[in-house]
Amino acid sequence: MAMPGQLMFARGLGPTARLLIWLVVGVSLVVVDVRYHALDGLRSGFSMLLQPVREAMRVPGEVATELTGFFTRHRLLQKERDALLAERTQLLVGVNNAKELARENAELRKLLKLQTRPGQQVVHAALLYQGHDWFAQRLTLDQGGGAGLRTGLPVVDADGLVGQVTRVYPGSSEVTLVSSAEQLTPVFVERTGQRGLAAGTGHGLMELRYMPAQTDLRPGDRLLTSGIDRVYPAGIPVATVNRVSRSQSSPYLRVDCLPLAGLDRSRGVLVLIAEPQVTAR
Amino acid sequence: MNVSAQTPGSWRRILGTLALAVLLEQLPWSGWALVVRPDFVLVGVLFWTLHQPARIGFGTAFCLGLLVDFQDGAVFGQHAIAYVIGVYLVLYLRLRLLQFDPHRQAAQMFPILLGVQTVVLLVGWLAVNPPAGLSILIPVLGSTVLWYLVALFVRLWHGKGAQDRA
Repeated sequence: MAMPGQLMFARGLGPTARLLIWLVVGVSLVVVDVRYHALDGLRSGFSMLLQPVREAMRVPGEVATELTGFFTRHRLLQKERDALLAERTQLLVGVNNAKELARENAELRKLLKLQTRPGQQVVHAALLYQGHDWFAQRLTLDQGGGAGLRTGLPVVDADGLVGQVTRVYPGSSEVTLVSSAEQLTPVFVERTGQRGLAAGTGHGLMELRYMPAQTDLRPGDRLLTSGIDRVYPAGIPVATVNRVSRSQSSPYLRVDCLPLAGLDRSRGVLVLIAEPQVTAR
Repeated sequence: MNVSAQTPGSWRRILGTLALAVLLEQLPWSGWALVVRPDFVLVGVLFWTLHQPARIGFGTAFCLGLLVDFQDGAVFGQHAIAYVIGVYLVLYLRLRLLQFDPHRQAAQMFPILLGVQTVVLLVGWLAVNPPAGLSILIPVLGSTVLWYLVALFVRLWHGKGAQDRA
């Protein structure tokens, strides 16, 4: 029974009002995050919360891989082992050669009084999760600040440069891929030594920017990091030139490149941690 | 009154399905599966908003949106804003949606899901940088199919035919 002076249908805010309130909260969050980067604490919290869940959700896939791996034919394994042994022998020869060269290089540098290059330490990391963000392509790795990672470190796989560490949490970290839009990498062309700037396009491809129209570039040329930015060590393969075209309207060549690293296939990567500069004695 | 689609949604069931949605999203998706991966969390939230609007609504949608934002390494608020708008659209069309059989309902949900994804696109565009193409809209198809399957499952679970006898 409705009494006089009492609301017959007591109700809270209507949906439109609630929508507006939440929209204001949402927009302020976006502004706070983009403009002031004030929400890194919240990110770390989520990362602590979700880390064990992600680890757990990898198990089904790993079990499936284990099972299929278990039934691999013996013959195949033997063949693979032989191939690996042969490769190892070859690599060992190369390593001996490299040691010799490194020693010689060190002596020459001493003679020329050049600074020795900083040493390098690597951290193995496995791919934990591939992000679904269309604005910057990211991977999540299972190593974080605990393993000595910092933002800005280069990440490579067996074939080439994968990207750069952009966010570090205690137990995981996020890597922005080289093919991500607006991700710039200073490179040089292996064949000619011409330096340039490679940028991601966001479609899993890269382009070499600001190359004058008369530059000597051919499809198939490899691009390596030039090391000029002091972020990436010099000489890491980045991409191969796929297509070179000249446009009427621009003074620069349009150079499409294909990243060498298995950006969407590699499961394990290496993070390169540069040791502090070694001072020459 | 059409109560056919009202599932007895206990808190346990609601939280269970939402947790399952978050877990499914945590699987290491890659390649094509990642491109068409339905937005499990969004479908879960909208489903419960449709059937249990007193329990699941704007607040839950917003918090789960933040979780998805973290997961994708996106700007905080990007999915949260979009999910909240999705909840509003579902509440607005609720009585209409409840009258349909699964495939018509999924057809009605398609524009809503598309709208939500477009908001994700717009917020990202304004906050970070222009998107790389419209592939961002492909998961909408996956989400619609998922909605259809969920609605069909619920209907069959309650022992009704897949189609309205009309």
